[in-house]
Amino acid sequence: MFDTLISAVAFGVVLASVVAIGSMGFTIQFGLTNMLNLSYGGVMTAAAFVAYILVSHHVSAWLGLVVGGLFGAVMTLAMGVYVFRPYARRGAKLFELMMVTLGLGLVIDYGLQALSRNNIYQFTVLQSAPIHLGPVVITPTQVILAAIGLAVFIGLELLLRLSRVGKALRATAAEPSLARSCGIRTGRVVTVTWLLSGFLCGLAGVVYAIDSQSIGYSSGQTFLPLVIAAALLGGAGSPSGAVLAALAMGIVTQLVSALGQPAYSQVAGFAVLVIVLLARPGAVGGGHNAEAQVTV
Amino acid sequence: MRVTLLKGVTATAALGVMVAACGSTASTSTGSSSGGSGASAGSPLVIAGVIAITGSSSFEGSNQAGGIYPAINQINGAGGVLGHKLVYKGVDTRGDPADALPAVQQLLATTSNLVLVAGPGTASAPTIVPVLNSASIPMTAVAGESSYNRSTYQYFWRLFPPDSANGTGMALWAQKKGYTRVATVFGTDSGSQGDLPGVLASLKALHMTLVSQLNITPDQPSYLSSVQKLMASNPQVIMTESDATTAGTFFGELKQLGGLKPIIGTEATFTAPWLTAVKGALGSAFLTDYTGMVTEPSQTTAAVTAFQNGVRASKAQVPPPWQSYLNNPFSITYYDGVVAVALAMEAAHSVNPKVFNSYISKVTNPAPGKTVVYTFAQGVAALKAGKQIQYFGATGTINFDKYHNSDGNQEAVQSDASFNPIPLGVVTAKQIAAVPVQGVA
Repeated sequence: MFDTLISAVAFGVVLASVVAIGSMGFTIQFGLTNMLNLSYGGVMTAAAFVAYILVSHHVSAWLGLVVGGLFGAVMTLAMGVYVFRPYARRGAKLFELMMVTLGLGLVIDYGLQALSRNNIYQFTVLQSAPIHLGPVVITPTQVILAAIGLAVFIGLELLLRLSRVGKALRATAAEPSLARSCGIRTGRVVTVTWLLSGFLCGLAGVVYAIDSQSIGYSSGQTFLPLVIAAALLGGAGSPSGAVLAALAMGIVTQLVSALGQPAYSQVAGFAVLVIVLLARPGAVGGGHNAEAQVTV
Repeated sequence: MRVTLLKGVTATAALGVMVAACGSTASTSTGSSSGGSGASAGSPLVIAGVIAITGSSSFEGSNQAGGIYPAINQINGAGGVLGHKLVYKGVDTRGDPADALPAVQQLLATTSNLVLVAGPGTASAPTIVPVLNSASIPMTAVAGESSYNRSTYQYFWRLFPPDSANGTGMALWAQKKGYTRVATVFGTDSGSQGDLPGVLASLKALHMTLVSQLNITPDQPSYLSSVQKLMASNPQVIMTESDATTAGTFFGELKQLGGLKPIIGTEATFTAPWLTAVKGALGSAFLTDYTGMVTEPSQTTAAVTAFQNGVRASKAQVPPPWQSYLNNPFSITYYDGVVAVALAMEAAHSVNPKVFNSYISKVTNPAPGKTVVYTFAQGVAALKAGKQIQYFGATGTINFDKYHNSDGNQEAVQSDASFNPIPLGVVTAKQIAAVPVQGVA
């Protein structure tokens, strides 16, 4: 039994790594733009398809990962500049913008459905013997994905805390008008945010496809609830909170599966969200200015 | 404000997932006075397909189109039914019973020449079968629930074996291969779960050991804990049904962790998307380790040849790739349903469902002195010659019982690299009936 639990925790860390990459991108964008971007899942899927096409043409999976991320960045920036910004300038409110993102996500999904002929594509990049770490049996691919998740987290934290761009981004997220009056070019900061969150979104899509070993037109939308839940649980704009939340949800879902109830694993993950929000509305990451903006 | 909004949306979504996973179901009973073909001379008759055309179950709609277009084209090519051409009208349920009911009600309200509804499947059948029956519209269902084994719906016809038959066939085949320790891996979606009780009850009836029963939530990024749990139970064989994406992920992880065992899949697994996903996950092991249990015959008969020729002639109309329908059990079933109903109309000299409905079994069931026909054209010719006919379908012998069910033999098949079936052996309907399966509703 102890071995089973240890394995479940390890598998939860792997799952959390995949979820966390997407959640970090989502929370950065949401924390700064205030926009609940429901087209995020569609961009994840599109980026994963780009990587899949490259890998299926014998391009390195590493290059596919980077190109998938870059594709997500460009696509997200284009959507931000050419779709969301015009709507916002015409006075669209949060809910209206959310509906725009939802509609755009559906357009992307069904476009991909047509292009992919509604097929499921197998996306296996590394077939090698599993690694035995005590009671834990895990594949090299999963170890690599966990390492990618950790590297992205460290890189993002360093970027936000040590670089000028990161500081400007945090300042704009905290108080845009004050940041602007301090000389920060907030328009550029928003552009950087689109690129950064889009890159993480694309990266998450590719990592998800590699982890699940398959890709279909709705893969990203299927994954999106976990991403949003971890972003919310971690607190808006807090990558470290998103990572902690992803870890909690990942480990809980895998523990429930290991204890014999895989049908309820996702339910348990979302139960964590509901319970934490009830017990501590500020969520685990502190949520920077989130509590100040709660109006209920 | 934004946090409040986000929390509201996400918490609602989370609660929605929890409620859905807890398996709450709702049944609706709605009547309709519409129905019956009031077709004027020469006007087209409508074959409606009530099925998921979009959404994650859209492959069901593709399978249906892959069977109905070939049938309609052949029938129209032979002059139509009593001077009427047939047309196909797809009605999208998106795989959701809540969408199916209003779609069917709209269909009934707006379609006067409706003669057949093909495809109430597992998810939508409980909602729409009563409605269609009240409207006197014949339906060729592919709903495998055993609750329809003794259906009293007059207009309900099932050319598809009940799920329990498929499950019993799988258990008998596993027993024949010498397996005694079995694990089951089924998705929690309603289609997959519909097949599970038959498998479990059959394993119990045959005194086989169920070492692990995994019900997995579809489309998760990983099933590692479930995979390890299955490996720890040390099964000799895995019986399974899930959607293609889930199967690809689960069996891919199982193989990567070194726990792959022989797999026996339900009939629903022998479809191109599922086979594609699992073949990609298993690699070369797919050709040897996967066995599908399908309705006999998998091999070619005159009716199968006619069906496959019909698919080839319809390849511009069916969703791509057209090759995926050539051996698709669902497409073949839909094809037979349309041909049987068309022949029933010819035999009854009427396109009124209230008249021709009772002729459906008359043109299909075997009986001494009947002329066996394999195509619509052959059937019409025999009827015009004053003969009684038995339509021997692409699904094999069609023999409806008093509950309008036609159960056939089950056949174990492997798949070649192009997803063509390779017959391994047959489990007869008699063998299946001899298994004292209990507790399946």
